[in-house]
Amino acid sequence: MAASMAAASGGSVTRRLLRGAARGLSGGGGGGGGGAAAEEPEGAVVNVVFVDRTGRHVPVRGRVGDNVLHLAQRHGLELEGACEASLACSTCHVYVSTPHLDRLPAPDEREEDLLDQAPQLQENSRLGCQIVLGPELEGAHFTLPRVTRNFYVDGHVPKPH
Amino acid sequence: AGRSGDGGGALRPLYMDVQATTPLDPRVLDSMLPYLTAYYGNPHSRTHAYGWESEAAMEKARRQVADLIGADSREIIFTSGATESNNMAIKGVARFYKSRKKHIITTQTEHKCVLDSCRSLETEGFRVTYLPVKKNGLIDLKELEVAFQPDTSLVSVMTVNNEIGVKQPIHDIGEICRARKVFFHTDAAQAIGKIPMDVNNMKIDLMSISGHKIYGPKGVGAIYVRRRPRVRLEPLQSGGGQERGLRSGTVPTPLAVGLGVACEVAQQEMEYDHKRISKLAERLVTKIMSEVPDVVMNGDREHRYPGCINLSFAYVEGESLLMALKDVALSSGSACTSASLEPSYVLRAIGTDEDLAHSSIRFGIGRFTTEEEVDYTVQKCIQHVKRLREMSPLWEMVQDGIDLKSIKWTQH
Repeated sequence: MAASMAAASGGSVTRRLLRGAARGLSGGGGGGGGGAAAEEPEGAVVNVVFVDRTGRHVPVRGRVGDNVLHLAQRHGLELEGACEASLACSTCHVYVSTPHLDRLPAPDEREEDLLDQAPQLQENSRLGCQIVLGPELEGAHFTLPRVTRNFYVDGHVPKPH
Repeated sequence: AGRSGDGGGALRPLYMDVQATTPLDPRVLDSMLPYLTAYYGNPHSRTHAYGWESEAAMEKARRQVADLIGADSREIIFTSGATESNNMAIKGVARFYKSRKKHIITTQTEHKCVLDSCRSLETEGFRVTYLPVKKNGLIDLKELEVAFQPDTSLVSVMTVNNEIGVKQPIHDIGEICRARKVFFHTDAAQAIGKIPMDVNNMKIDLMSISGHKIYGPKGVGAIYVRRRPRVRLEPLQSGGGQERGLRSGTVPTPLAVGLGVACEVAQQEMEYDHKRISKLAERLVTKIMSEVPDVVMNGDREHRYPGCINLSFAYVEGESLLMALKDVALSSGSACTSASLEPSYVLRAIGTDEDLAHSSIRFGIGRFTTEEEVDYTVQKCIQHVKRLREMSPLWEMVQDGIDLKSIKWTQH
């Protein structure tokens, strides 16, 4: 977070230095879930749109290699990810826009089992923590379902884990 | 058969209605009792031994059901019976895929829960094709092939019919559906444990199973839902996500254990039972038909399950024959239609004339049916058919050589 604030206020040299440092920390080009902030990357941008539970469209500039769950959380979307991307829950359930759905690799059997447990499942459902951005997902829309398996009927919003 | 339950002290009738329900096999009862008395934990309780032992019993039962049909145990979901399983399969699959697929194919001879589920989907905007059957009760595969539409999501055809006992060509239907990538559901309530079933061999994607048709307890059944390729369905029952999210609710461990053991016992006894029941069925049919003329067997002679025999006795009213055979528990159609005054739609679908449809009796032969019971039933049946025909003016006319079809009956 500090890095992104500095980058926003500093000049382009500072930005490039910080970016280099961040990349060094997260071990190479983009890191799924690494500490790198949502800055403007070099030539590896994948523009996607998150649609939150109220229907608000949130355009996001992701990078190749970004994990969709962590990308959503970094941009303040209410995707819980209770098991922190360890394939043990279904709270990062998203609907993927066609035709991007078919460009994703087929889900693992364990992902399918967890999807079975997600309420309001649709044919275009996937677990967000299993989607890694690539250039083929340019323009993809990821829509959050209205509910997840965790019952927050009182309106409670869990903080990202 | 002991004394009757109303305390009257009279002997109980012989039970020849196994398609309606079956008695508990004693081995099934033995397996259930500990879970009704001592091991009463909730199988979904994860934190103590009561839960763990109950869960272990439930998972063992799941495996036993799966083994009977060649499935993986993760593909078995416990339900309250085949009616719930049929509702889940038909409404669940249709609604899940409704954004792209709006058409379902089934047959005119399905169980009422299948037909009613289809009718209720029609009010939701789905289109349903009810395939007719041939005079022998089997569907015409060519008619099935042309019934497919680009937006067909499901085909539902029962394996063995509960009224007339015919066995549909499940293998061929499975091939046809798989080639068109349409899910194939079969209501196998009357078939499993009686004839070999293999969901992979027969390319079945969903299957309904009933406990009380295979000498298991009432109130439990299962649905098989294929994992590869994955079949998705919209759950009917919402809740805590038990049974893979497809059927929430505490699984009744004693009932599940009973279903599991019933399946295991059936697998062991299948060959022996089938041979013995076939012999008894042959005995019943041959004896009746050799003594009494003008008896029609409804449904194909060969492609059938032998333990379900539906005979129409011309010129005799079915209900009066049933009343006459008061020492034998029989039925004239299926239990679920006996309260309504509607004549059997299954017999109508195979082209039975209305008068013959009213003259039909279903004989059920099961694991515990004895030769003496069959002989007694046959003897009484022959005796009463002859007696009722003596009283029948129609029979008299036929004996005098009058063609009944040529008569113009006047309206009163």
